[in-house]
Amino acid sequence: MMNQATNTQTLASVDPNAVENRYVVNASQGQTSLYVPSTTGSEAASWNMYRVENHSAESGSFSNSTYHHVQHSEPSSRTVQDGSNATPLATSSSLGATNTQPDYGGYTSYSNSAGTYSHGSAGYQGYYSGYQQQPNPSYSQPVGAYQNTGAPYQPISSFQNTGSYAGPTSYSSTYYNPGDYQTAGGYPSSSYTHQTTTWNGSNYANYTTQQYSNYTQDSSGAYAAGNAGANSLHYQQHYKQWADYYNQTEVSCAPGTENLSVASTSTQLPQVSQVPGVSGGYPTSNSQAPTTFAPPWRPDSSSSQTPLLQPGATVTGAYDSYRTHGAPSFQNQHPSPVQPHFVKPLESKSSYGNFQEQQKTACPQLPNLQYPVAQQAPQNYQPPTQTVQSLETQRVSKLQIQTNPRIASNLPLGLPKLDKEGPNNSAIAKPAYISVSLPKSSEKVLSNDAADTVLKAGVFPKSLKSYVQKALALCKDEKQSAACQEIMKEIITKATSDGTIHTRDWDAEPLFPIPNTDMIDKNNSQNSTPVSLFSKYKKSPTRRTKSRWEPLEEKSVDKLGSLNNYAAKYGSLVPLDEKDRKPIGASSEGKTDVMKKIRFPQMEQKSASKTVQRQAKRQRLADASAADNGDASSDSDKEQNLTAYYSGAIALANTPEERKRRENRSKRFEKVQGNRAESNHFKAKNAGTGNLYARRTTALVLSKSFEDGGNRAVEDIDWDALTVRGTCQEIEKRYLRLTSAPDPSTVRPEEVLEKALLMVQNSQKNYLYKCDQLKSIRQDLTVQRIRNHLTVKVYEAHARFALEVGDLPEYNQCQSQLKILYAEGIEGCHMEFAAYNLLCVIMHSNNNRDLLSSMSRLSAEAKKDQAVQHALAVRAAVTSGNYVLFFRLYKMAPNLNSCLMDLYVEKMRYKAVSCMSRSYRPQVPVLYIAQVLGFSNGVLTNEGSDEKESDGLEDCVDWLKAHGACLVVDSNGEMQLDAKASSSTLYMPDPEDAVAHGDSSLAVNDFLTRTSS
Amino acid sequence: MAYPSMGEAHRRITDYLNKFCDAVSYQDVASLAQLFSFSSNSPSLLSLADALNFFQDANRLIRQSDKFSQFGEILAPLFRSLQSYRLGNLVEAYHAFEKFANAFIQEFRNWESAWALEALYVIAYEIRVLAERADRELSSNGKSPEKLKGAGSFLMKVFGVLAGKGPKRVGALYVTCQLFKIYFKLGTVHLCRSVIRSIETARIFDFEEFPRRDKVTYMYYTGRLEVFNENFPAAGHKLSYALTHCNPLREANIRMILKYLIPVKLSLGILPKTCLLEKYNLLEYNDVVQALKRGDLRLLRHALQEHEDQFLRSGVYLVLEKLELQVYQRLVKKIYFIQKQKDPSKAHQLKLEVIVKALKWLEMDMDLDEVECIMTILIYKNLVKGYFAHKSKVVVLSKQDPFPKLNGKPVNS
Repeated sequence: MMNQATNTQTLASVDPNAVENRYVVNASQGQTSLYVPSTTGSEAASWNMYRVENHSAESGSFSNSTYHHVQHSEPSSRTVQDGSNATPLATSSSLGATNTQPDYGGYTSYSNSAGTYSHGSAGYQGYYSGYQQQPNPSYSQPVGAYQNTGAPYQPISSFQNTGSYAGPTSYSSTYYNPGDYQTAGGYPSSSYTHQTTTWNGSNYANYTTQQYSNYTQDSSGAYAAGNAGANSLHYQQHYKQWADYYNQTEVSCAPGTENLSVASTSTQLPQVSQVPGVSGGYPTSNSQAPTTFAPPWRPDSSSSQTPLLQPGATVTGAYDSYRTHGAPSFQNQHPSPVQPHFVKPLESKSSYGNFQEQQKTACPQLPNLQYPVAQQAPQNYQPPTQTVQSLETQRVSKLQIQTNPRIASNLPLGLPKLDKEGPNNSAIAKPAYISVSLPKSSEKVLSNDAADTVLKAGVFPKSLKSYVQKALALCKDEKQSAACQEIMKEIITKATSDGTIHTRDWDAEPLFPIPNTDMIDKNNSQNSTPVSLFSKYKKSPTRRTKSRWEPLEEKSVDKLGSLNNYAAKYGSLVPLDEKDRKPIGASSEGKTDVMKKIRFPQMEQKSASKTVQRQAKRQRLADASAADNGDASSDSDKEQNLTAYYSGAIALANTPEERKRRENRSKRFEKVQGNRAESNHFKAKNAGTGNLYARRTTALVLSKSFEDGGNRAVEDIDWDALTVRGTCQEIEKRYLRLTSAPDPSTVRPEEVLEKALLMVQNSQKNYLYKCDQLKSIRQDLTVQRIRNHLTVKVYEAHARFALEVGDLPEYNQCQSQLKILYAEGIEGCHMEFAAYNLLCVIMHSNNNRDLLSSMSRLSAEAKKDQAVQHALAVRAAVTSGNYVLFFRLYKMAPNLNSCLMDLYVEKMRYKAVSCMSRSYRPQVPVLYIAQVLGFSNGVLTNEGSDEKESDGLEDCVDWLKAHGACLVVDSNGEMQLDAKASSSTLYMPDPEDAVAHGDSSLAVNDFLTRTSS
Repeated sequence: MAYPSMGEAHRRITDYLNKFCDAVSYQDVASLAQLFSFSSNSPSLLSLADALNFFQDANRLIRQSDKFSQFGEILAPLFRSLQSYRLGNLVEAYHAFEKFANAFIQEFRNWESAWALEALYVIAYEIRVLAERADRELSSNGKSPEKLKGAGSFLMKVFGVLAGKGPKRVGALYVTCQLFKIYFKLGTVHLCRSVIRSIETARIFDFEEFPRRDKVTYMYYTGRLEVFNENFPAAGHKLSYALTHCNPLREANIRMILKYLIPVKLSLGILPKTCLLEKYNLLEYNDVVQALKRGDLRLLRHALQEHEDQFLRSGVYLVLEKLELQVYQRLVKKIYFIQKQKDPSKAHQLKLEVIVKALKWLEMDMDLDEVECIMTILIYKNLVKGYFAHKSKVVVLSKQDPFPKLNGKPVNS
């Protein structure tokens, strides 16, 4: 509401006024400020007022403390360093930043495309604000640019044009900036430098934020501004609700414009350094500008392209330099994003210049036309935009056509000088892409030339050299030093452009903070090879289509008809994509992705956690985006040419599929926004944001459907659905431990497994084969999550086989599984295995507590079971040492109890013999020993010996001898154990099959002999 | 529930807060401990809980004054716990109580003197009891009970706070005992070892300096551990210590000690008087004792079978089962005496058949081989002095003290 009021008022008052006033009006909140600084102090005051209003309005809606803070801090810093002139600019810029944010909130709900972009910008802001401490290497360039710009801009009377444009506030603002600069041009260049310097030096953070906001805007660029601007007018008049939005949008535009102006200056830098007569350079830029500007709003196609590509180009430039140095530093990255902005402004300005000078008539008319349309269509936000778009697109094409020739005409002016800069200038000649290529070239020149030339030139004072050495000395490793070099280059360039390089006291100059190598490392890892990164990004979309998310999103997209408008916009935004996906499309995609990601970090930052990691992450993202763009542009030199042809056919480029894809993508962003908005909401609540909140909620509602889909995909993993259903009909299958997801074609279904179990049970092959088969059956059961009687049967069968051969480890596996299965209530031979379990505990664990607990766990019913009773009897025999009972039980053991007892036999026998040798005197017949110690196979009976028992005699003798017993033959020829003699000579021999690892069952040969049957 | 008025609720809460702060500032541990004692179900705490449930925003009261808010970390979860406790939501109550206990430990760490030990005791006790109840609630809901385990690890932390040097060490034993209770309940007695080591190896602190209450409990549990290990002399020593230091009026405690001490003493050959069993209602041992006295194997087996569950649960089953050999010894001794009365000259030669007949008499159906085996075992274990002549199937007893008494020594194994 506040905003509305202010706007209308300003409008009313301003309208009568000339172009300038209009500007004020448009900019009333964001841009006026821009204007003011250039004009006079009083204006500045007024501007301040505006700013305040905006601020209040914003604060009312948003509680972006950080942003406010930024605003305040900036002015102060400026005042400190520069002076009155600088302050207004700075404040305006800061305003821009602040405004942009709110904007975005509004935007998200409205148009996805705008939203995404805005978000991206927000992310950038956050990102950069985080990095405030760092020196502004990038700025040195802008400074230079400023001086230069002053000159070129003066000639251009862009203001009048803008006046005609009044409608498109955003653009007007951009114009204004140039205008300011022009005025600045009128001013001594020094003042400009001051401004720039202040920004650079003290308020780097702010600056960056602005730039970034611009950047995003740029990218959406023209786009956001255009939409916002067009809509904003309508809204002012008709819709109160939109007031906020409008204001915000305007503001966003304003910052963008400001930045643009700055950017322009920066872009000029190269020119400046090389070409004193900047005007030449500007015209060339104008050639690009026309495209962007002429179509002002929707011209997005052209404008958007330019932004996209430009950043890329600049980035590449920056990256080139980085690569050369081998260590891209954070700061370096800054320049790259910044530069794109600058570039863009340049273009816009240039376009204006061109327009004004050459096509004054054409330009004003076009914008006006659009405006009316926009105004008439106000009620539905999207409808208007669409209409605008259509109009715009048409116009754009027209404009482009128009502009191109003009550009060409302009070119001669700029070219001669530009040629020096590089081959890139030639690109300028090409209509649509000129803009793209130009920035790139200029940027490269900027970074490389500015830095290198500056460094190489032996112009530096000694103090500076020592300063550099000092700084380098602080670096710990190569990366750091490389980064430092980058920073210093920036500093020096700045100083040179400032003209302070010789005047500054370098000895007293504080060293810049050494870049964090960790971050650099990360950057390196990701950015050092921008190409790869780019390729990654290029791939990402395709990858995504495969991902679980994608299909869901697409489905949901269809539901949201309302968003189609957006899609249309979006499509227009990324016009060339389809045809040349790689150059622009890829970059734009990558960018959007990046933007989306960037938004997260930003939010995080809001939450005030500025951990290095996060910063690094943010940085990384930013880098990624930069890299993307850079690659896109660099990659696509060829493609640019191609795309140039297509540039006019933007509308055609949007095939339905492509559009849909865009939609999805953009909706993804929306969703993200929605989430964020929710989280933001709590903060915002305090400030009492009514409208905003409402809007965000709508965004939330829109995004809900997506979220639902997403959640379904991720959280509710349906294990049943994932469970393998086997199709394999083979009965026999070797066991192979799975190293990946099971393949249904190799998994046997339950019926087959049943047959397989039968086959194994009836098999005559040895245990190794059976074990292998049973393991594979168990595996198939497991992967199919079959837990029933069959499972129990398989485990029981396996446990029995294992017991038969004394494979305790395998038996234990089965036993523990069976315990679980029985506990689940699945029927089986519960008692039998309870007995086994008991025997196992008795024989092998030798732990009274375990024994007690497993005994106490036996149910009364279990205790009646024969096998369990037997096991309990064995236990009693063991605890009491009753060997007779033990071997008697051994012989009548049910099931496989004897197998478990087998494992205890040796111990029991030894105990028994030592007991005998102690208790018997004088001798014990070996035959008796053989009887009671189970050497004979036959059932022990009370009456003497029979055939079978004698069978065990030899074994017993062997065993006794092996254990050191003294045997004598008595008068009857019977073998006797000399108890007294044996009592001292008995010993437990090392087991014959002893192996180094202590587990004889693992000795393969022995195992094979035992198991092969 | 009759809800108090708002003012009343407010008054009660601030009352409690004031009590807490006063207790802390005056180091009045008795009243402090009272404030934490949930399980006492004291009317003041219950009414406070009602007040808290009625007056939902007690945290505001805590924050209101600096006096309270400095203990906000302690009090807020305590209130929450009390609320949940009152509402019967024990799992919630446990969670909050653990939070409170952690906060209190933090504070306790900062107090130089050990004045608040009593309060800590209360907390250690309450957290264990609460955890047990919470586990019961959990398992009744079909969830896995794990709170007691959590309480165990918390108490381990408390033990760490106390176990060092200094005046707080006195409290370590109490916490150890609470830990024992938890570990025994959970069946993870192996965890006791580290705590025991830390108690027994600390030379800077004499065991006797611990409070008697804790010493008795400690000895009881360590004695039980020794019973598991079948280290009967040590078990007898520890349990006897517990018995002699136990408050004689605490009959329940004495009974618990005797429950383990009697089997231990039996296996050492020391029989209790019947009146002792009667006094402490340990009649399940009566038959066992009688069997030992008479050499009545049947009675022993019967007694074991009758009380099997009980003995298994308390963990003395295996101990009692081993008394069988002593019963055999007694039986053989009886036969020996009878033979001696008949024919002193041949008394030291016991025919296996006689023993088998005697056993049959006791309805123990054992054949010669088995009895022979048992005789050899008796000889081997030094319960009978002599040898066995296989050829003639005769146990030849030593003429000197053929049936040595154990007299506190364990049976040879």
